[in-house]
Amino acid sequence: MSRPVPAKRTLPSKEASLFKDLLSLYESRQLKKALKTADQILKKCPEHGETICMKGLVLTHMGRRDEGIDLVKQGMRLDLTSHICWHVFGLIQKGEKNYDEALKSYTQALKFDKDNLNILRDAAHLQTQLRVFDALIDTRHTILRLRPNFRQHWIALAVAYHLNGNLLEAKKVLETYERTLKNIPDYDVEHSESLLYHIRVLEDLGEFKDALDKLDTSAKERSILDRTAILEYRARLLTKLQAPEAEFAWRALIDHNPDCYEYYRGYLSQKNLSLSSANPSSEEALELLQTLSTQIPRAAAPKRLALTLATGPAFSSLIKPYMTSALQKGIPSLFSDLKSLYSPTNPEKQNTIQTILEAELDGEEAADPSTYLWTLYYLAQHHSYLGDHVKALEVLDRAIEHTPTLPDLLMFKGRVLKRCGDYLGAARMLNEARLLDGQDRFLNTKTGKYLLRAGLVEEASGIFGLFTKKDAASPGADLEDMQSFLYILEEANAHRINNKLNLALKKYMAVVKVIESFEDDQYDFHGYNLRKFTVNIYLNLITWEDHIRAQPVYVRAALAAAKIFLEVHDDPSIAQAAAAVPELTEAEKKAKKKAKKAASKAEDNKKAQQQQNANEDKGLEPPTKDDDPDGTKLLTSPSGLETAAKLLRPLTNLLTTAKVDIAEKERMEIWLLSYDVAIRRRKLLQALTSLTHAQTLNSAHPGLHLRLVHLHHFIRTTLLNPSSSPSNPNGSPNPTGPPAPIGPAFLEGVKQLGVPDESQVSLETYNQQYLQKHAYPSPSDASKAEVVVACAKAMIILGAPLHEVENLLLGIVSTSGVGDGDGLTIGLALEIGEMLKGLASGREEEFREGCRRVFVRSTVFGVGGEEEVRVLREGVLRDPDVAVGADEVLSV
Amino acid sequence: MNIRRAKVEDLAGMQASNLQNLPENYSMRFWIYHLMSWPQLSYVAEDHKGRIVGYVLSRIEEPDEDNPEKDIHGHVNSISVLRQYRRLGIAKKLMLLSQEAMESVYGAAYVSLHVRRSNKAAIGLYKDTLGFEVAKVEKKYYGDGEDALSMRLYFDPEESHAQQ
Ligand SMILES: CC(C)(COP(=O)(O)OP(=O)(O)OC[C@H]1O[C@@H](n2cnc3c(N)ncnc32)[C@H](O)[C@@H]1OP(=O)(O)O)[C@@H](O)C(=O)NCCC(=O)NCCS
Repeated sequence: MSRPVPAKRTLPSKEASLFKDLLSLYESRQLKKALKTADQILKKCPEHGETICMKGLVLTHMGRRDEGIDLVKQGMRLDLTSHICWHVFGLIQKGEKNYDEALKSYTQALKFDKDNLNILRDAAHLQTQLRVFDALIDTRHTILRLRPNFRQHWIALAVAYHLNGNLLEAKKVLETYERTLKNIPDYDVEHSESLLYHIRVLEDLGEFKDALDKLDTSAKERSILDRTAILEYRARLLTKLQAPEAEFAWRALIDHNPDCYEYYRGYLSQKNLSLSSANPSSEEALELLQTLSTQIPRAAAPKRLALTLATGPAFSSLIKPYMTSALQKGIPSLFSDLKSLYSPTNPEKQNTIQTILEAELDGEEAADPSTYLWTLYYLAQHHSYLGDHVKALEVLDRAIEHTPTLPDLLMFKGRVLKRCGDYLGAARMLNEARLLDGQDRFLNTKTGKYLLRAGLVEEASGIFGLFTKKDAASPGADLEDMQSFLYILEEANAHRINNKLNLALKKYMAVVKVIESFEDDQYDFHGYNLRKFTVNIYLNLITWEDHIRAQPVYVRAALAAAKIFLEVHDDPSIAQAAAAVPELTEAEKKAKKKAKKAASKAEDNKKAQQQQNANEDKGLEPPTKDDDPDGTKLLTSPSGLETAAKLLRPLTNLLTTAKVDIAEKERMEIWLLSYDVAIRRRKLLQALTSLTHAQTLNSAHPGLHLRLVHLHHFIRTTLLNPSSSPSNPNGSPNPTGPPAPIGPAFLEGVKQLGVPDESQVSLETYNQQYLQKHAYPSPSDASKAEVVVACAKAMIILGAPLHEVENLLLGIVSTSGVGDGDGLTIGLALEIGEMLKGLASGREEEFREGCRRVFVRSTVFGVGGEEEVRVLREGVLRDPDVAVGADEVLSV
Repeated sequence: MNIRRAKVEDLAGMQASNLQNLPENYSMRFWIYHLMSWPQLSYVAEDHKGRIVGYVLSRIEEPDEDNPEKDIHGHVNSISVLRQYRRLGIAKKLMLLSQEAMESVYGAAYVSLHVRRSNKAAIGLYKDTLGFEVAKVEKKYYGDGEDALSMRLYFDPEESHAQQ
């Protein structure tokens, strides 16, 4: 079908052929020539929409973005029925990652040229990116109809059905496709991969027998080349078919890779055995593992798995040679290897280990100094892991005295000090370890991380800079570019400790940005993998991308950022304070100047390059400009709560709709913060749902208790009290009472949460009752300290007198109340300190003094004033006494 | 430690290990690209909690217009093991599994890699444990000016002699 071409689009023949040149010049990215050609056409036909659009596109590629986009828009207006104009517009939008709008443009383009393969292909990629699978199936059908001879178009259609959940149709397409195949060359990896995809579809459909048959025939014909995959599919399918051969299949896998735990699990389960020591038939399992271990001596897994299974004397007899040989060899990772045997409820294994170690130390200290050293190293890790840091430090000091030049000892001492809250000492230790092996980036990274834990941002940057690219604007810029979550998150936390909320927020949002870029990364693979036929891994990529915000780094960053937005919402003055230009120290000033210089140099380099190469393709992505480098705008933005809601929404969606691996503690926090944000945004039903979800997770959680009090107080004082609205400090519209349609449903839902009616029990009493019931021992799995903090916060909401709140909080560190059982952590103690400060309490110092008693070695509660902290700070970067050249490598 | 083929879910852990261990780092797109192109070649080691403690990221190089005679071969892009897990034989096992896949899936003739001249641990692993040989020295290969040893291991030992 062809539409009449509008007169204004028709070019004279010379220009028409120039236009063809223009298109192919653009395709091959000969931008300068393309531009010239476009200008030539426009000289004669200045109103030619398609040429103007193409010129705009070329200019955009050349980095003259604003000008280019203006032209594209102008060209569009001149010819709204041209598929070329719409295609160009779509390309620009796609470059801006505006996939939604881009797809609309492509759809328009297809209206005017419905069989254009280029446009169809791009549209399919956009539809996949946006997960509009119905439309994707249509597009894939069209493409296949136009070019049925391309193998990949068949696979692409099957995948479209698969993504849309229609496996049966996917299977049919694959079957038809395979019937069309002729003359497949031998050893064709692409064919091999597409067969494996077909088998996966059969397996997912539950057609195990067919899947197995297909696997076996293809393997025999050598059409599937991937041996690991063949063996794994085989074992899995036979297991699902409950076939006796399954046992041999798992055994074959063990031979193939004897260090994969999964294979042992599969093999044992065929004999009705398991890898858990709780299993009654564990003796039999143990025997089996020992046989395997003799059969495959190079394998570490059966020896290690046997340790998990064995108990009592069997364990003793196995662990002893295992440890002795590792200690004699000097394997530094022995503790990392064994620590999962430790159990808080069943200390049998760690006790046995300790006995062996102590005997080792008593016996042959003189015999072998190296074994002695590694034994001490292990013992220190053992004690620290079990919470006895003082003992660990004692042992470590013995070891360090014995061999002062082993980085691992110093590194671990740093770790113990960190656990004690001595962040400055910890950083100093790591720095000393680093100086012993300056070539190892691992020690460098750890040192930087520990400096950040101590809040020493500039010093950390200097350390990181030893391994980052020299031409980057700053070490941090390079690490951010390289997507180092470790760095971004640790620096964010450091700014948070230093009360630079703007900078902290900026970094938390940088994590979010990186995650967003991961999401964009999938785009190119919608086409690429189908061309390569690597379908199975591609489908896994799609699932991973769907759950990308369940990544622990995203969860942590989103929660931390949301907290800051909430704090600023409740008290805007802290934003002003944080954003006020802080006084820089000399070191900071210097570093800033240096960074600025480096940045401008990097900019100069870029410019020079640009001039050198005007033909260079800059792509269609807009350059990233940052007009808020220190996060001040972000922090003071009036839409903070909206941003927080946007950060949390994908998380609550994932929690309710997908199977994602997010820890219970984080799940709880997600719901609680969702409540905090929703209630402040007057999204009453959202607030209610959040609490209902939190309640299902743990109905006695202190954080939930706090929100329940908050909610009832809020209903009484704000929702049901019309006079409260004018006093709203933020001046945002404050409706008097819940809007009519939600009102009753909301209030009914609130009742279901189970807080007694205020006419019977006041909120104050309710709070006290919770405190009594949960303080010790708490049925909520929360520590006493957490319960106390929640109740104190509730008291503050309810307007309790200051001294009552103070008494409650100070009680945590009172001499009588101290004990590990109270579960006061350093983080929580710092939070209490902030609370007292916020209350303008006169007992803040008394509290800090208490903390110093509880956390004897910690430096965060002011060990005798500023001076000592300053000395420690400087000590962090001092050269250690045992100075070994940084370039001299010490192998461990 | 559990050693198995790398999955998409491991990408973030692999990238994080690489950033901690080595100065040569790559953005996520590069990691994804390798797994999407050669899903059989990369392997990981994980601890009991499922955290990635070591990885090998590999690729296949095929004859192209510039080098039509070049044999199809595997290339190790990056390998590292977190410091607390070193000397357990993890790197060796990762390498062997990746090499096996290069040969059996793609019919690779050999595996190649680059290593810093000063990296004693890695050179020990490649040379002494795995049998690699130095094919040539590439001057100032690394960003900071250090030389690289370009190393190779032929899967068919006869081939190795023929190439010497
Ligand atoms: C190189 C590296 C990957 C080795 O990992 P690993 O798991 O500890 O190595 P393995 O335990 O498998 O060691 C196998 C063999 O390599 C050699 N080797 C490993 N570490 C060594 C060291 N520090 N010194 C000398 N030889 C060493 C030994 O021959 C060893 O065999 P052995 O333990 O039986 O003596 C690890 O040290 C590392 O991650 N380093 C930092 C990153 C890096 O340099 N990567 C290589 C880039 S090319």
